[in-house]
Amino acid sequence: MKTSAVVSDTIESPSTIEDRAAALECIRRAQSGDVDAFEQLYREHSPRIYALCLRLKAGDRPDATELLQDVFVKAWRRLDTFRGDCAFASWLHRLAVNTMLESARAEGRRTARVLPMEDTSRLAGAARSSGIELKMDMETAIASLPKGARLAFVLHDVEGYQHQEIAEQLSVTVGTVKAQLHRARRLLRERLES
Amino acid sequence: MTHEVIKHLLDDYVTGDLTDEARAPVADHIAVCELCRSEVASLQAIVAQAKELPRSVEPPPEAWSGIRAAIARDETAIRADKPAVIGNRRTAYLVAASVVLAAVLSSTGTAWYLNARNGEANGEVTSAATARSETPATLAAFAVEENNYLRTASRLQDLLDQQEGALAPETVAQLRASLHAIDDAIIEARNALARDPANKLLVEMLSSSYRQKVDLLRRSTELTRGT
Repeated sequence: MKTSAVVSDTIESPSTIEDRAAALECIRRAQSGDVDAFEQLYREHSPRIYALCLRLKAGDRPDATELLQDVFVKAWRRLDTFRGDCAFASWLHRLAVNTMLESARAEGRRTARVLPMEDTSRLAGAARSSGIELKMDMETAIASLPKGARLAFVLHDVEGYQHQEIAEQLSVTVGTVKAQLHRARRLLRERLES
Repeated sequence: MTHEVIKHLLDDYVTGDLTDEARAPVADHIAVCELCRSEVASLQAIVAQAKELPRSVEPPPEAWSGIRAAIARDETAIRADKPAVIGNRRTAYLVAASVVLAAVLSSTGTAWYLNARNGEANGEVTSAATARSETPATLAAFAVEENNYLRTASRLQDLLDQQEGALAPETVAQLRASLHAIDDAIIEARNALARDPANKLLVEMLSSSYRQKVDLLRRSTELTRGT
C-alpha cells in the first residue's frame, strides 16, 4: 500500500535536527505574532506553493499569485492550529489545495455562465504566458486540460496525493478521481503527440 | 481477465495502485498484448514527465507585500473586533470595504474619544466646546445607531459574499464601484467627525452614508435571491 507522498517524500522537511529545531523556532515565533518570522517561512516555502498554484490555476500568473497570497494570509491566521504533527510544508500544501478548491467552487458559480468548463482555449493561452520556462509543452498541455481532469492530474501525478485524499478534498468518489486521471492522461498524450 | 477489463486497470498498473493479486494478471496480459503494452508505455511516459516538472517557481516579488498588507489589515480589524476576510480577488473588494470601514471606525473612534479626553484635560475651548453639553448625548445616540448599521452591514456583507456568484460579473463590478463610493464618503465623514465630534451635520452625513450602504447591500442580497 502506498503512503501519501504529500506527507512523506514529496515535500521535503528540514534534514538535520538543527534545521528542524530552527524551523520549529521560526514557526513558534510566527505563531506568537512575529511577522518577520512568518516572512522567513514565506521565503522558504512560497516557491513550492507557487508552483502548485500556477498549475492549479492553469498557468494564469495573476490568479496564481492571488491564490498564493490567499494561502499565506490563511496560513498566518491559522498558524495556531499547526501543532507540528506533520511537516509545516505539508500543512501549508494542504492549505493551498483547500484554498484553491474553495476559490474554485466560488469561481465556478461565478463564471459558469461565461466560461464552460470544457473551454480550454483561454487556459492554454494563459499557460503560454505564465513564465514557466521548463517543460513548457507539458505545462501548456496540463493547463489546457478540463478543470476536473487538471485538478486530478496535478494533485495525483505531479503532487503525489493518493486517490482517496483527492476524492475527499474534491468531495467526489475515488472512481471519479480515477476517471478524471484516465481522461487527463489520454488528453495529455494526444496533445503532446499532436 | 479479458482485454476489456484489463485496459481499465492500466492507469492503476502504471502508478502502482493495484494490489499484488490484481497486478499479476495485468502484467501477464501486457506481456502478450501489443496494444496494452503500447498504452502502458505512453502512460508511463506521461507519469514520468509529470514527475520531472519543476517543483518550485519563484513567485513575483510583489506577492509578499500583498500578504504583509493583508496581515496588517487583519491586525487593524482585530483591534476593531471585526475579522478581515482577504479572499478571492473578485470578492475581496466587497469584503475590503467592510474591513476599511471597521479600521476607520476603530481609528477615528479612538481619535474621537481621545480628542474629547484631551480637550477636557487641557481645558481647551474648541468649536466643539459650545456643544459640549449636548455632545455626550449626541455621541451616545449616534453610537447606538452606528452599531446597528455596522451589525446590519456586516451581516448583509457576509450574505452577499456567499451569494455573489449568483450575480452577473457586470453587476458585481457596478456593486463594487457603488460600495467603494459609499465607503469613501463614510471615511471622509468619519475623518471630519473625528476632527469635529460635535458637528451634527457630519453625524447626519455619516448616518446617510450608512443608510445608503445598508440599503445597497440589502438590495444586492435580494437580487441574488431573485426577489
